Amino acid sequence: MTTPSSNTLVKLTGVRKSYFSGKVETPVLHGIDFTMQPGDFVAIMGQSGSGKSTLMNILGCLDTPTSGEHQLDGHTVNKLSRAELAGLRNRTLGFVFQSFNLLKRMSVLDNVALPLLYANVPRAKARERARAQLAKVGLTDYANRQPNQLSGGQQQRVAIARALVADPPLILADEPTGNLDTRTSTDIMNALTELNRDRGQSIILVTHEPDIAAYAKRLVRLKDGLVLYDGPVREGLAQLQRDTQDNAAQETAQGAPA
Amino acid sequence: MKFTQIWAESFRAMLANPMRTMLTMLGIIIGIASVVLMLAVGDGIKAFINKQLAVLGSNLVLVQADSRKAVGARLKTGTVQTMTLDDAAAINRLPSVSGAAPMLTTFSQISFGNDNTNNQVQGTTPVAFRIRNLRLAKGIALSDEDVATAARVAVLGKKVAEQLFYKADPINQRIRIDNQSFQVIGVLDNEGQSFDAGDIGEVVMVPISTARVTLVRTPTPRSVQYIIAQSKTTEGLNEMVADISDLIRDRHRIRADDQDDFRVVNFGEFAKSGEAIATGLSIALGFVGAISLVVGGIGIMNIMLVSVTERTREIGIRMAIGARPADVLWQFLIEAVSICLVSGIIGITLSAALAAAITSTGKFDLTIGVKAVMIATIFSCAIGVFFGFYPARRASKLQPVECLRHE
Repeated sequence: MTTPSSNTLVKLTGVRKSYFSGKVETPVLHGIDFTMQPGDFVAIMGQSGSGKSTLMNILGCLDTPTSGEHQLDGHTVNKLSRAELAGLRNRTLGFVFQSFNLLKRMSVLDNVALPLLYANVPRAKARERARAQLAKVGLTDYANRQPNQLSGGQQQRVAIARALVADPPLILADEPTGNLDTRTSTDIMNALTELNRDRGQSIILVTHEPDIAAYAKRLVRLKDGLVLYDGPVREGLAQLQRDTQDNAAQETAQGAPA
Repeated sequence: MKFTQIWAESFRAMLANPMRTMLTMLGIIIGIASVVLMLAVGDGIKAFINKQLAVLGSNLVLVQADSRKAVGARLKTGTVQTMTLDDAAAINRLPSVSGAAPMLTTFSQISFGNDNTNNQVQGTTPVAFRIRNLRLAKGIALSDEDVATAARVAVLGKKVAEQLFYKADPINQRIRIDNQSFQVIGVLDNEGQSFDAGDIGEVVMVPISTARVTLVRTPTPRSVQYIIAQSKTTEGLNEMVADISDLIRDRHRIRADDQDDFRVVNFGEFAKSGEAIATGLSIALGFVGAISLVVGGIGIMNIMLVSVTERTREIGIRMAIGARPADVLWQFLIEAVSICLVSGIIGITLSAALAAAITSTGKFDLTIGVKAVMIATIFSCAIGVFFGFYPARRASKLQPVECLRHE
């Protein structure tokens, strides 16, 4: 690659997204610019309706922008076919979802091995690598269980193992602690933080909880389809807290009897 | 993803919902079993007809004198006996003919002891035994020597022998035919309708020379009533008919613009129409089976569509982690084909068992042919591909985002 941004992992330029129902256009993203270097750990926050799910889908190559450019790992995503998108997801992205999204009928081991099978890795080799990945999340003993025999925290660790098994440059975690209790949430977030710190794993985390966002290095706040804040996580969260207090004060003032 | 992987997954999917899979398969199982059975029934009927026709002997024609306009009035067929032993011998020498036998027949009283019956007596030569497929249950057939010496010997049809001798051995017994003494030398094994004498079991056969001397009066010492000829091959039958016509026209000195004084009756045509009926029946029965297969196939499509809807989220997850649309298409297509293939195997097994059960009753022979099995297997795969394609394509067209949102 000869472009100066060759080192850039993700680059969004003026990304807009609208949904159409019939002729009615509902804009969700109004022009997002976002750049991410390898090794970064970004938390995306925003209230419901802010467009963070839509942004997540675009970042995950599950959806394409209405306009603007999306580059991922040197590929211009806008120009790819569905099959090419699938291949790109397979090679460059690992997903961790709020509801774990493990396949029920398969053993834990086969779930972890699945991304490798789609990458045409032979089954025996894929299972071997999956087993090694399960060992890293401490679930070796659960390899032959069905996912629903595991606790929520264990299932999410299986999902993390699945996301990591093909060694993708970017992990996308969409509310990964949304269905977990506080202690398990802490475990999962520690695991993700370690990955970023020790292996330089790039991570994008979508959450609405400031406590969870605090694990990241950088914060992106969305509001009404625009970036409200993009910077270090500490200042970002402080600003968020001030905004929340201001809103609360405003509401109190409005709600007070005249 | 590798195909072996997809196969393994499709079997896992089938086992995940065994009751539903079984019910889905039932349609195809019944369809395949009925197609295979119906083809077997068709083949069985064909074999049955062929067996019946074999009693007649195959590829036979009958050459007989025809009415000829004698002084303006047309006479009844067979009234004029222009065919002769020499015509028969000449036909016998034709290269397309495997054998020709002259015939003289009459109805006579046959008696033994106090019993008597009235049956057709056929005077003929040993060639008739060969070309008409006649087998002997006991004793020996007529010989050329018997014909040469006008020996007073007779071969009895199975039923005649039973009627006159009940369970006793007729061989070497002396019977009377129109009050002339004959020695029984053989009993036929054949049964069923012959084309010239009703039930072949009710016929008595004697040397043609003996018949002429003792039983049948002929206009000339060499005339015969008709000649039976057999062609060497089924394909050569029409050619033989032409050869015989040319030969007899020549021998009877019939001018080019004159009508034949004989006619050739082609029994091969009967065999052919019997075969055509059996084939038609086979196709009709197979068609009925095919309809049930199509119904089964629609059942598969139905269930696959339900399955795609149910597994929308799974499709989304697979797409998110790297399944290409083609991977999803193949997964569902192979699942449909697997269901059909397994159903096909079960259906074939079931029909084989049923056929064996029917055959064991002894009433009807049913054999499952390799052809039927192959047709059924190919058909069941085709049903899977045909009815599985639409649901599979629908699955592959789904958008990953929408799938993941699906509950």
